Amino acid sequence: MTERPWLAHYPKEVPQTIDGGGFNNLAELLSSAASNFDKQKAFTQVMANGMNGSLTYAQIDAHAENFASYLREVLGLKQGDRVAVQMPNCLAYPIVAFGVFKAGLVLVNTNPLYTAPEMTHQFSDSGAVTLIVSDMFVDRLSEVLPKTQIKTVVTVKISEFFPVIVAGVIRLVQRFWNRSLPKITVEHTWFQDALSQGKKARNSANSAKYLDGIGLDSIAALQYTGGTTGVSKGAMLSHGNLVMNTLQMIAHSGDGMRRGKEIVLTALPLYHIFAFTVNLMGFYHNGARNIIVPSPRPPSNLRKAFDNYKVTWLSGVNTLFNALLNERWFQDAPPKHLHASAAGGMALQESVATRWRELTGTPIVEGYGLTESSPVLTFNPLTGLAKDGTIGIPVPSTEVKCVDESGNEVAIGEPGEIIAKGPQIMLGYWQRPEETEKTLKDGWLYTGDIAQMDADGYFTIVDRKKDMILVSGFNVYPNEVEEQIAAVPGVLEVGVIGVPDEKSGEKVTAYVVATVPAPSAEQIIAHCRENLAAYKIPQTVHFVDELPKSPIGKILRRELRTGAIGSNSSDASKGA
Amino acid sequence: MNGLMILAAESANQATVVNEFEELLLRVFIVIIMFGLGAGLTPKDFGLALRRPWGLVIGWLTQFGIMPLVTYLLIISVLIPFSSPEGILLVALGALIMGSVPAGTTSNLFTYFSKGNLALSVTMTVNSTLWAFIMTPAALFIYSNLLGLDESLSVPFAELALVIFGLIVPVALGMFLRKLSSNIGAVLELVGGVMGLLFIPFLIIIWVPRNWQLLLTTEWPTYAVAIGMGLVGMTVAYYIAKAIKLHPMNARTVSLETGINNGPLAIAVIIAVYIDNPGIDEILLIPALYSLFIVIISAAVTLVFRRANVAAEQKIPNLL
Repeated sequence: MTERPWLAHYPKEVPQTIDGGGFNNLAELLSSAASNFDKQKAFTQVMANGMNGSLTYAQIDAHAENFASYLREVLGLKQGDRVAVQMPNCLAYPIVAFGVFKAGLVLVNTNPLYTAPEMTHQFSDSGAVTLIVSDMFVDRLSEVLPKTQIKTVVTVKISEFFPVIVAGVIRLVQRFWNRSLPKITVEHTWFQDALSQGKKARNSANSAKYLDGIGLDSIAALQYTGGTTGVSKGAMLSHGNLVMNTLQMIAHSGDGMRRGKEIVLTALPLYHIFAFTVNLMGFYHNGARNIIVPSPRPPSNLRKAFDNYKVTWLSGVNTLFNALLNERWFQDAPPKHLHASAAGGMALQESVATRWRELTGTPIVEGYGLTESSPVLTFNPLTGLAKDGTIGIPVPSTEVKCVDESGNEVAIGEPGEIIAKGPQIMLGYWQRPEETEKTLKDGWLYTGDIAQMDADGYFTIVDRKKDMILVSGFNVYPNEVEEQIAAVPGVLEVGVIGVPDEKSGEKVTAYVVATVPAPSAEQIIAHCRENLAAYKIPQTVHFVDELPKSPIGKILRRELRTGAIGSNSSDASKGA
Repeated sequence: MNGLMILAAESANQATVVNEFEELLLRVFIVIIMFGLGAGLTPKDFGLALRRPWGLVIGWLTQFGIMPLVTYLLIISVLIPFSSPEGILLVALGALIMGSVPAGTTSNLFTYFSKGNLALSVTMTVNSTLWAFIMTPAALFIYSNLLGLDESLSVPFAELALVIFGLIVPVALGMFLRKLSSNIGAVLELVGGVMGLLFIPFLIIIWVPRNWQLLLTTEWPTYAVAIGMGLVGMTVAYYIAKAIKLHPMNARTVSLETGINNGPLAIAVIIAVYIDNPGIDEILLIPALYSLFIVIISAAVTLVFRRANVAAEQKIPNLL
């Protein structure tokens, strides 16, 4: 079926298809924004106490050029070399990311919450040779670096580009009050030194050639994701993927996103594909001012940002919108200048959407996407018909359909696996042809999510095909958690599933069969804490006599989920 | 401010050059602290405090209803029965004056530290100070009569105006500077907070050695009143605020506003009115002790409040 019922619901200003705007790579896209918006403020980083620093489009672009020169001239990196970035949201983030693109290198965004084994896997799998890391997270490096190909470490301060006195105060607070600056035990270069070395080494004849041969099909980023199996693997996102998804997102937003006028609050982490494409690339390209916040936890950290800036746009996840709605200061004084909000990453609860509209008087729409699709596939129209509970309609130049097991499109209203085709679909998984083959078939991305489409072309997620658990938009793979728990002495068998949770969407729950004497739930959680990122740690551990199994002995997670087993549960919901 | 009060108390007895230096230091401290508090506020915060006047009304009631009453009850149940009778009514008079004056700016600092509603706190301080022109003499009149003292006292309006001026100007300036630059605002707020933290030990350090003799010779019932009025006042006001279901943040504010009275104002009034009274040292006794202990009590209560606030803070998982 090639019919696209959703096209009838595109607001009049939204085109059905878009071209690439004539950009041959991300560097050209970035340069056009820099010349269009030149002296406007591009990024403002706001700390919880209101301290802030800003950079204009021109400044961001100039620093990014210098950083590109550092990577190519000083470090001698070659086209296609991987550069890993591991930082919370800060002013250095766009400079590093844009610098990597301008240098014709490949960006590897890395979650700063990762544990040493997780970092080791991502760095060695990607083959990253350079790491740009926040100096708050360097404590794991001496353990990780020897197991990777990383040769150079550049350390970034959170207060980079703040006024001198303010930066000094922040450093003092970090050092003596928060004690959040571990001793750096590995050889490293400070970010500002790297920038000035890059500036000195800059050679325009050379830099003109950084992107020779880099086109829309060249890899721009390895964005790690669990995909269909538990092993984290790099989705190869091309320059074309990111250019197109940026333009698709802007086009689909129509009049909901006003060029050159928006002030967008970026509370989501930029290392995640959602904020990366939507905020860092999309809003930047559209001339917005990004208000970036290093940590939105607790939500009161966002108060000064709302107090001090006329925030017009907010991209977030259900958890964030819900948290803001529950903050008294937010209820008392909802942002007056807010224009629109977009939710992704996890299902936006209807009650949250309704309360958001009531309190702020502005639209909030839900969208859908995957790391493998850069990520935006569908969105409810901002200025047209938005249907709560649905993930909306495909963005321009994108085809989406629900198919059965044999790949045939199902009837309207029938559930089927979502598959999608468009310029934003990844090239494949980095060095994993088998995985790629399972996920990309004839140009269609098989998402593993089950949905149904209504007669208007709006999609609704029904279930996930995979067993993966979605904690606040983060994929948790039961295999990986089970592997850790199984390593705890006294654990015989373990099954990990997700159970619905109001705050995080789902929470990780483990069912354990243990020997006598049994390990305690606390011991199991403590072990997980050493080896897994916080969001993967089970919130609850149930001790059971046996686990439901298939005839060949495979643990049936589905049956665990129905909860039809007798258990003498031992709750251990200590904050993961 | 408590600090000023100590110095005022001393200037009633012995004026020294050191005192002037310390007074200057304390003034600088307080201006910086108030600047900092102001820099943490926006006009919107005051709008909200006025839009929900319940905190203000309850604060007014507890300030002029509960505090003088608590003081009176402590006087008749502890101070008078268990003290040596000589000069005790003068001590009681000092306690009544201390209990009847409005809230001081120290309450704003502790409200800030205890994560209360700072805008409400500042509004309440201004409100109760304005009302003090009528309410302080009225409360004093009622309770001194009950004690058999025939004291009529008027609070010099200039003193009240000075308090309000000293509060509003730095706060407004702090707010203005934040509006001008959120970085200056944030730095001011932080510096003000640090100064506020230093202010507490500083006050104790300059107070205790100088008044060592006083501390040694004072009888326990006097201590009980000086400590009790703040502690009981805060506790009662807190539970009243909770009972009428004020938001916890506002309940904490009302509690601190009620329990912390303006020591320097009490001293200034006493000196203005009783400077020729040979018993002025007795009258100043409880205000002096109160001013020391209220800082210690408030610090302890603030720790409790902060813990409650942290426990009530929304915990959300990592967003993505």
